[in-house]
Amino acid sequence: MSETRHATDAELTERFERDVTPLLPNLYSSALRMTRNPADAEDLVQESMLRAYRGFRGFTEGTNLKAWLYRILTNTFINTYRKKQREPQTVQTDDDVEDWYLFDRLAAQSTEASAEAEVLDRMPDEDVQAALEALPEGFRLAVLLVDVEGFSYKETAEMLGIPIGTVMSRLHRGRKSLEKALWEKAKERGIVDD
Amino acid sequence: MTDCEQALHEIERYLDGELEGASIADLEVHLEDCSPCSDRAEFQRRLKLVISSKCGQSSAAEIPQTLRVRIRTMIRSQSTDTRE
Repeated sequence: MSETRHATDAELTERFERDVTPLLPNLYSSALRMTRNPADAEDLVQESMLRAYRGFRGFTEGTNLKAWLYRILTNTFINTYRKKQREPQTVQTDDDVEDWYLFDRLAAQSTEASAEAEVLDRMPDEDVQAALEALPEGFRLAVLLVDVEGFSYKETAEMLGIPIGTVMSRLHRGRKSLEKALWEKAKERGIVDD
Repeated sequence: MTDCEQALHEIERYLDGELEGASIADLEVHLEDCSPCSDRAEFQRRLKLVISSKCGQSSAAEIPQTLRVRIRTMIRSQSTDTRE
């Protein structure tokens, strides 16, 4: 017998509900970006919560709970939903998109400095979400975890099971593709001139 | 000393909080003196912000109440299942 008193199931459940429930909105919103539809997002979050609950006794209190939960969410998505969604595992994107794609195009349009960034603010949420969701999975996850959820390169690398250098290159290429998609959307919306 | 090419190369990592100590200071000195580079850095910072605010939790459809209930029910049933 260990001398440490083990938490009872009731205590564990209480701690789980107290600490994990506040993070549900983040997890659900990331699940939406991952699966790209509400029904799958709900299932993904529920399945992840089940796995998290079952492993919760092994979670060390005081360490990064959000990172721990995102690791479970990401793994569940990659191992379960990707298969279900039958998405081809492409890690290809437009490699011909040059650096500063969006900035250079917006700068060519505007006379005032800072106008470039204002165009971004005027883009509807749905357009930015659609641009992110259109990225191939490897890029989408890197941008989602770093830009949206604020994880470090190291945390992201651990979650995705890839080297940090790969995270950096997926981020860079993912962002460029995203910039191109945003430019196309801005043209469609007439926010910028063709 | 940081030149423009190096600065532009480092801006992404800088904004991601992934640049190391001495490089941060060098880059910041360069950005203060070089408005073309600092315009790009500022644009990239806003782009990151737009992605995070428009794709993040605050912008998402609210988490369905039914999902909250499903999760609570599942946890409670797990908890009693393992109480043997």
